Amino acid sequence: MSEMKDMIVDVVERMLKEKVDKELVDTVEQGHWAPELWELLKENGMTDVAITEKNGGAGGDIEDLLNIVRLTGKYAAPIPFTETTFANYLLEFTNLQVIEDLATYMLCPNQAFSLENGKLTGEAIQIPWARHTKHLVTLANSTEGTHLVEIDLSQAEIKLGSNLAGEPRDTVIFQHAKVSQVSPVLSSDDVHAITTLHSAFQLALMTGAIDKINDLTVQYTKEREQFGRPIHRFQLVQQHIVQLAGETAIALAAFNNVTEALQMNNQNSEVAYARIRFEEVIQAVTTISHQVHAAIGTTHEHSLHQFTRRLWSWRDEGTSTSYWTNLVATQLLENSGDSLWEYLTSFSSNSPLLKVEG
Amino acid sequence: MFQLPTVQFTQEQEQFRLDVRTFLQDELAKGTFTPKCDSWLSGDDPEFSKLIGQKGWIGLTWPKQYGGQERSTIDRYILTEEFLAVGAPVAAHWFADRQTGPLLLRYGTEEQREYFLPKIVKGECYFGIGLSEPNSGSDLASVSTRAEKVEGGWIVNGQKIWTSNAHLCHYMVTLVRTSPFDGKSKHAGLSQLIVDLHAEGITIVPIKFLTGEHHYNEVFFDNVFVPDSMVVGEIGNGWAQGLAELAFERSGPERILSTFPLIDELIQELKRQNNLEGLQQASKIVARLWGLRNLSIGVAQLLESGNGDDVSIPAALVKALGTKFEQSIPEITRLIIQTYPTLDAHRKIDRFMAESILHAPGFTIRGGTSEVLYGVVAKGVVAQ
Ligand SMILES: Cc1cc2nc3c(=O)[nH]c(=O)nc-3n(C[C@H](O)[C@H](O)[C@H](O)COP(=O)(O)OP(=O)(O)OC[C@H]3O[C@@H](n4cnc5c(N)ncnc54)[C@H](O)[C@@H]3O)c2cc1C
Repeated sequence: MSEMKDMIVDVVERMLKEKVDKELVDTVEQGHWAPELWELLKENGMTDVAITEKNGGAGGDIEDLLNIVRLTGKYAAPIPFTETTFANYLLEFTNLQVIEDLATYMLCPNQAFSLENGKLTGEAIQIPWARHTKHLVTLANSTEGTHLVEIDLSQAEIKLGSNLAGEPRDTVIFQHAKVSQVSPVLSSDDVHAITTLHSAFQLALMTGAIDKINDLTVQYTKEREQFGRPIHRFQLVQQHIVQLAGETAIALAAFNNVTEALQMNNQNSEVAYARIRFEEVIQAVTTISHQVHAAIGTTHEHSLHQFTRRLWSWRDEGTSTSYWTNLVATQLLENSGDSLWEYLTSFSSNSPLLKVEG
Repeated sequence: MFQLPTVQFTQEQEQFRLDVRTFLQDELAKGTFTPKCDSWLSGDDPEFSKLIGQKGWIGLTWPKQYGGQERSTIDRYILTEEFLAVGAPVAAHWFADRQTGPLLLRYGTEEQREYFLPKIVKGECYFGIGLSEPNSGSDLASVSTRAEKVEGGWIVNGQKIWTSNAHLCHYMVTLVRTSPFDGKSKHAGLSQLIVDLHAEGITIVPIKFLTGEHHYNEVFFDNVFVPDSMVVGEIGNGWAQGLAELAFERSGPERILSTFPLIDELIQELKRQNNLEGLQQASKIVARLWGLRNLSIGVAQLLESGNGDDVSIPAALVKALGTKFEQSIPEITRLIIQTYPTLDAHRKIDRFMAESILHAPGFTIRGGTSEVLYGVVAKGVVAQ
């Protein structure tokens, strides 16, 4: 664990708190983003966290980076922060060159582009922020197998789309476009490792939004009065508060365990359990927070929906929960000799995330 | 425990259902409307309302002398189910048909009935519901919009909020304080006035729903004159009259079926995939739906037989259970089938998912929150 973590979290939280408000988040839905905010984070080295220093990184580790991502989720920051930093993390992970400009990624194996003689062809949908970014880091299939490649997006045809929260989710089409870098063939373990990391980044974003929703809701129960008292005095509202607190605590603890396990390269099944459990967390947290806010929470003017709509979008993006339930089911089958307790407490039931061999 | 009556449809009623269904399918084929979830509150289309009016399907149960058809509450129940099942845009005339008409038939003056009902029946006259205020949501009896007596009428000052479709409505039944707030009996001194929303002194300010749609509004009153002839029932009796309305408001099929188009599309999609396991999962939704429908139509039957007094507790129960059910549909659907909800999706199920997810939070809030209903039901059950 980096000693800088608390400091980084502190600095980033202060920046985001000061710079990101409801109006700024609205700009994403109007088709814009927040380049000034990006510049601010970049100047402060936050976009280079977890890139090794020999590659021009700012130091810090994956745990630090995931905590910054969590904060961008907590403030719904309208910048492709996750996209760019994770793209670079993957480039390093596969021993490719990191890049300077804004980047995004495509990691869904069943919409991988085809790669032939260094040229990329194909179409992929729901690519985050493609219209605003310069590079795409993507899975691509050649006759030899699956690779990670980096390609300049100026060669792509881009069709605009958006998710339920109004965030850019574009369609990207390549016709024999020249790639900039290609990784060696990835093993299925490599692809699983990339999937695991991707899920960890998504969990980070979700955790931030969940945390924020809890804050907003608790605050509201103190401000809103009906029948001559703050609504947190009503037992049915108290029940909501407790359930919300429980789900939020579960999410935060799961996230902290995921980051620490990744940090120690011993992630066991933390990501799988967290991602599966977040399904219920998201359902409970979005339902309860809206119920407590009642009418005001259904307005566009209130910021609650900026977080609930993100959770409703993110849960259906990237690796689905069924990937993880399948994985756990398969492992349980394979460990038929062991009791559940042995399985749960064993150290080696999942392979550590080793870097791709260069 | 209370037991609700059961309902068996007559031949004529079965035929009526088919007639309505055929009409809606024809209109759908013509492109008259696009089906959507939550269409009874967020699907407003005055042209469609007029079309329904021409069919004689607004004010179906009302006396013929006011343009109604004198059909039964169960007939109206059937009609409403068909609208909801297909996701037809019936929001414009909805409140006038469901609430204002019955209110005027019960408490209105002859003059009011003769003036308003024929217009409502034609699908040309829409009413909003003016209850909530910024500081009076669940605690509705604390409303502070006030009306002061003047020669020939009342002068209204104050503000309503969350008024669905006020920008499309011609009138609003407005709950106002006609005598000063008395901490001890706050239900006293409340009255219902019909306010012309185009009158001088009214300002309607849109509030955007979280999807960005214009659905509800703030309505401000600045010395608005309301003539005596627009008082509903008795001055000071507004609370009791409003409670009577609630039975109609709370127990209808719209408290179960707001997301029905999604259920239907889920089943279609699973059939296309020949997905037996998925259909088995979905059969649980269907069974839950039917259990609730039995309750809801039982309440309708009670209303039909005029036992209105016994209705308020089961009606609150239907709303509490039904809205929770319709709210859960997108969450259950995504466990059965993979979707990517967006409002402009090509795949119908993705679009219905998006509409359902985004509108679902309101289901358990509008018309009285679930928490408030739990209180009503618990008190009622204990008192029995
Ligand atoms: C889509 C939509 C359309 C609407 N349309 C209309 C309309 O056309 N006309 C109209 O007049 N109103 C309308 N409303 C307003 C609706 O009636 C109110 O939202 C509702 O009565 C709740 O009031 P509130 O939003 O102020 O919540 P509050 O009363 O502030 O409640 C906040 C939270 O506290 C809880 N709570 C409050 N009191 C208690 C208690 N005693 N015990 C336990 N829990 C409690 C509530 O259940 C809720 O969870 C609409 C609302 C929505 C969402």
